[in-house]
Amino acid sequence: MRVSKLEIIDFRNIHKFEKNFEPGGAIFFGKNGTGKTNLLEAISYCAFGKSIRSASDSELINFSKAFFRISAKFSFNHLENIITAANDDHKKLIKIDGTKISKISELYQYVKVVYFSPEDINLISGGPTNRRKFIDLAISQSSYKYLEDLRLYHRILKQRNALLKSDFSRNEKISWDTKFIEIGTRIIISRKKYLKEFIPGLSEKYFFVSGKRENLDVEYKHSFPTSEFEEFSNSFANHLERIESDEMRLQRTLAGPHLDDIIFKIDNNIARNFGSQGQKRSLVITARLVQADIIKRKDSEAPILIFDDVLADLDRGRAQRIMDLLGEEHQIFIATPNIELYEKFNLERIDLENLLNEK
Amino acid sequence: MFTGLLAELEKNLKKLPGIGSKSAQRLAMFLISNHQDDALKLADSIRDAVEQYTNCSVCNILTEYEICKFCSDAHRNEQLLCIVENTQDVFLIENTQEFNGKYYVLNNLLSPIDGIGPDEISFPQLISLVKEREIEEVVLALSPSAEGESTINFLAAELTEFVQKITRLSTGLPFGGDIEYTNKLTLGNALIRRYSV
Ligand SMILES: [Zn+2]
Repeated sequence: MRVSKLEIIDFRNIHKFEKNFEPGGAIFFGKNGTGKTNLLEAISYCAFGKSIRSASDSELINFSKAFFRISAKFSFNHLENIITAANDDHKKLIKIDGTKISKISELYQYVKVVYFSPEDINLISGGPTNRRKFIDLAISQSSYKYLEDLRLYHRILKQRNALLKSDFSRNEKISWDTKFIEIGTRIIISRKKYLKEFIPGLSEKYFFVSGKRENLDVEYKHSFPTSEFEEFSNSFANHLERIESDEMRLQRTLAGPHLDDIIFKIDNNIARNFGSQGQKRSLVITARLVQADIIKRKDSEAPILIFDDVLADLDRGRAQRIMDLLGEEHQIFIATPNIELYEKFNLERIDLENLLNEK
Repeated sequence: MFTGLLAELEKNLKKLPGIGSKSAQRLAMFLISNHQDDALKLADSIRDAVEQYTNCSVCNILTEYEICKFCSDAHRNEQLLCIVENTQDVFLIENTQEFNGKYYVLNNLLSPIDGIGPDEISFPQLISLVKEREIEEVVLALSPSAEGESTINFLAAELTEFVQKITRLSTGLPFGGDIEYTNKLTLGNALIRRYSV
């Protein structure tokens, strides 16, 4: 997977940018405030159909302008696609080869990007929502079916919560629960299947990154009791039956994959509570690398890796070992104020101060 | 920017499905400028259709008669009943030419968010209709959305003691899609390959 050309008009502080990229990628450098990260953001916008950093598109529009436009040429499995993303007068418009798409998730099939952001630390330090989002997006990048299940599940969940607030009949409740349990179970099974691939890769790589000193464990935490002798769907259904009076009293759903969590443990201690900053940072970067590995295995093509200066805060040893793990097969984009840190990468260097001030 | 009557016309056109600001303005201009006769004819036929059409007293299909042409057609199989969300779905199924039973229109799907429960999907009338006729098969031709699926589950559970066979469309339909967006061929296949719930 490669991006060979990027054009930007009025995106954040970038008025106009046009550049062809080498297959290996590039390092954007320059002082803070030169717009390095904005370029990374523009590339990833084409992969996710939204900003990786801010929730609303309006923040992305160049000050005093009414719109932005990003256009990028990607190649995937030897096919070229041009993705254009624009926001004009508060309307988002994304096209693949000139054809408008209706759901941003359609992009996932065309552009595979793994973004390493400083905010990723929340995957370990933050609440369970961060971890569910991580695994849901990771699976969705390779499975449209999973994304459809997630959408359906959240719709049913919303309906079920409304039902719990109302005066419902027995059969009405069962009708919603049947589908809720079916789709919920399918989501849990997909996540556990993903983790089966993810955990061994992560443990192995994290052991290496920690200098062969730390052992990593990952557990999936259910929102209902499970047993190895019982199907998930039965455990789920039985639990919902047991908690029905609680759910009716609190008028909302109290079990299901929307409440599950993933627990990371370093040397048997929960990383969220006991991990050092260095451990947490290197752990999330390693997790992103394994996410990229799994995409590569599924699609037989390596995703684009985007680094928003995430190695800067690590000690030299960990940073070095993470760089050792990066395969040549990925196209890599890095934004940093200290180019020396990334000297071992033989990437084209793009000095933003010169480039954006030329005009 | 339109003002006065023209703005009013634009506002009303915009309420139609698939019509945005630009199309509404273009249509409004079209109607008042060169084609006044056609525009008035359109206004009349909108009024006639809207005023004349009501729900069939038996099956809820929108019709200009007290009892619709499907319900009063003696050649149709009374023992076969197809349950759909709306009148539009009836015509989609008619187009496939794969169905020769009677219809029943719910006009809604179960949706607690919108306060829609069994009473709002014409369920009490459906139960009395099913008890009255000796129906052999009920086909639940509803979309596989969250609301459609739960309505299928609900009706299947409620009807099972009165009907021998309850079926739903085969999953040839695009997942999470609407039956409205399915082409004739696929919907026809989905009907032929319907299966018991
Ligand atoms: Zn009728």
